[in-house]
Amino acid sequence: MKAAPFAYVRPSSLPEAVAELGGTGGGGKVIAGGQSLTPVLAMRLARPDTLIDINAVDGLDRFARRDGFLEIGATVRQRRVEHDPASAAVPLLGMALPWVGHRELRSRGTVCGSLAHADPAAELPAVACCLAAEIVATGPGGQRRIPAREFFSGAMTTALEPDEILTAVRLPVARAGEGFGFAEIARRHGDFALAGVVVAVRVGGEAVLTGFGVSDRPVTTDVSGVLDEAVRAACGDRGRLAEELGERLAPVADELVDTEGDAHASGDYRRRLFRVLAGRELAKAYHRAHEEKA
Amino acid sequence: MTSSEAPNRPRPVRAGAGEPVEVRMTVNGTPVTVHVPARVTLADVLRDQLGLTGTHVGCEHGVCGMCTVLVDGEAARACLLFAVQLDQAEVVTVEGLGRPDELHPLQESFGRNHALQCGFCTPGFLMSSYDLLTHQPGVREQDLPQELSGVICRCTGYRNIVTAVREAQQAHPGGIPAPGNCARRALAGRGTGRSVVDEEPTGAPAEQSAAKAEIVLPEGEPTIAVDVATEVGVGQDQVWAVFDDVHRLARCLPGAELTEELGEDYYAGRARVSVGPIKLAFKGVAHIAEHDRAARRMRVLAQGRDTGGAQTQADILLRTEPAAEGGTRLHAEAKVYLTGRIAQFGRALAGDVSRHMFEQFAAAVSETATTGDAPQGRVKAPGAFRLLLRSLLGRLRRRSR
Repeated sequence: MKAAPFAYVRPSSLPEAVAELGGTGGGGKVIAGGQSLTPVLAMRLARPDTLIDINAVDGLDRFARRDGFLEIGATVRQRRVEHDPASAAVPLLGMALPWVGHRELRSRGTVCGSLAHADPAAELPAVACCLAAEIVATGPGGQRRIPAREFFSGAMTTALEPDEILTAVRLPVARAGEGFGFAEIARRHGDFALAGVVVAVRVGGEAVLTGFGVSDRPVTTDVSGVLDEAVRAACGDRGRLAEELGERLAPVADELVDTEGDAHASGDYRRRLFRVLAGRELAKAYHRAHEEKA
Repeated sequence: MTSSEAPNRPRPVRAGAGEPVEVRMTVNGTPVTVHVPARVTLADVLRDQLGLTGTHVGCEHGVCGMCTVLVDGEAARACLLFAVQLDQAEVVTVEGLGRPDELHPLQESFGRNHALQCGFCTPGFLMSSYDLLTHQPGVREQDLPQELSGVICRCTGYRNIVTAVREAQQAHPGGIPAPGNCARRALAGRGTGRSVVDEEPTGAPAEQSAAKAEIVLPEGEPTIAVDVATEVGVGQDQVWAVFDDVHRLARCLPGAELTEELGEDYYAGRARVSVGPIKLAFKGVAHIAEHDRAARRMRVLAQGRDTGGAQTQADILLRTEPAAEGGTRLHAEAKVYLTGRIAQFGRALAGDVSRHMFEQFAAAVSETATTGDAPQGRVKAPGAFRLLLRSLLGRLRRRSR
């Protein structure tokens, strides 16, 4: 299938790009890697009248650590982030990226593009939510930072204004005493998740669980209480912790997993998947956090 | 700690809906410039504008992986990229991977392990596995199915595909060899000729007109290399009497017709070739680059374009030497470069056809030299069935030997 005709602009500076997008009066769409957008255009689910290609924009390929954050610019490809040693500062990136599509898609797809596309079953929006990342948007009025947990407002819907470009994401760098976990179940590797979890545990601090593929957006909740209870009940038995967590997470799964189910999996099955995965990953993250501290 | 490995950035551009955008890229080592509307995918440009139909198109929305090519050294889906995004990029397709006479080790391994089946997914698997073995030469065997899951084989031939990739990996533990067929050559597809322009760093003419233009042959391996010799029953001087008269010479060429003398040894002409259902009518220019009667050498450069977008370029060297009983040994070496639909025609068969055309040419030269007269009218264009049959029979005989 072929995309409907569209005008095409490839500006060389960010102010130009913002002006171009504003000039389309909401009929424009920004493209970086296009790995999510192009299929939508090919199927003519979207018919923007103008595509603003930001690949020639100076400065958007920024990928650097600064002030306790790893900042990833809008044109930085997923595959580059996956293999760059700098990404070790955010361990969840290394855990999640191999699950984003296939190698062939990650070599063109961008981290920021995945966030802007906001597919509810995508991995990177969930990572951003779990870590409480900051999303940088640039519009005619300048730059603003949006907390990731407020950014995703529904399926493929974000807090981005029609005249704003998502220019970067700032992911907090992991500190000592933090442990992370990531898991998803898909029918085939590279497909969207039937259910997925991202967890972050901080020794003596909060434990955060984010689910994806289970609602119309990534869903995040504090599970510190559940984790404490399960740790006490497990009495230092490593093997038992995941089980204890799985039991105790049932109400959390009921609350977070908000799906009727589809041809691939029922709502109940997804709830069960979510609970088991969350239990396992929380237990792993808990142990990692304590090993990190040691 | 900013990494700097960004490839060349595309140039700024602005185009209305449907308006062609200039894209400059390097495809299999050849710099090309195409003009396409922004909504045209890289897969379509490769196939239609550049005649590289090895890149297959399946789902056209990024699921099946048939169209996998290398963009700046990394595998990517050609159907998920608008060609306009590839400005300044370097693309390698399956055609760039191996040469007909020297396939890439991955191609060899796929053949050996029966990993081809219907062949539709093969280009995708080859490019995806090349990317894999380049970036993760030590990938574990148990991870191969997952790493290759970006391409779908509808024959479900995965077991053999995985075995083929594994074998190529084991044969090259230090890393898989680089693509072996990337060099400057002519590229032309079936799409509108208007939108195809070969980059002209050496001044190669993009569009053939009757106007005289310098003929620049592509670098790299020719599609067909013909090296044949035949004996004719007339003396060298008689043969050269034919060669000296370009009109008589042209009439000896099967299917050829000289239409205009452009001066300085440049000639415009037409050539018709039909083999089976394939009928091509080339219009082009020939240049006698060397005509040395004393040394018995003559070199002709030719370049032509078919209305269907097929393009051919040839470098022909004719030599004569005395043969027994006052005869002449006529020797021809030709390097023929083909693009477009004609290039899809089996290369071995195309080589056979070229050889038979040369034999016809030699016979016509002999006849002309003997009678002093060119054959009545033009030498008939190579006949479809007869040629094909002879080629096939020749091949069969060789095989049964």
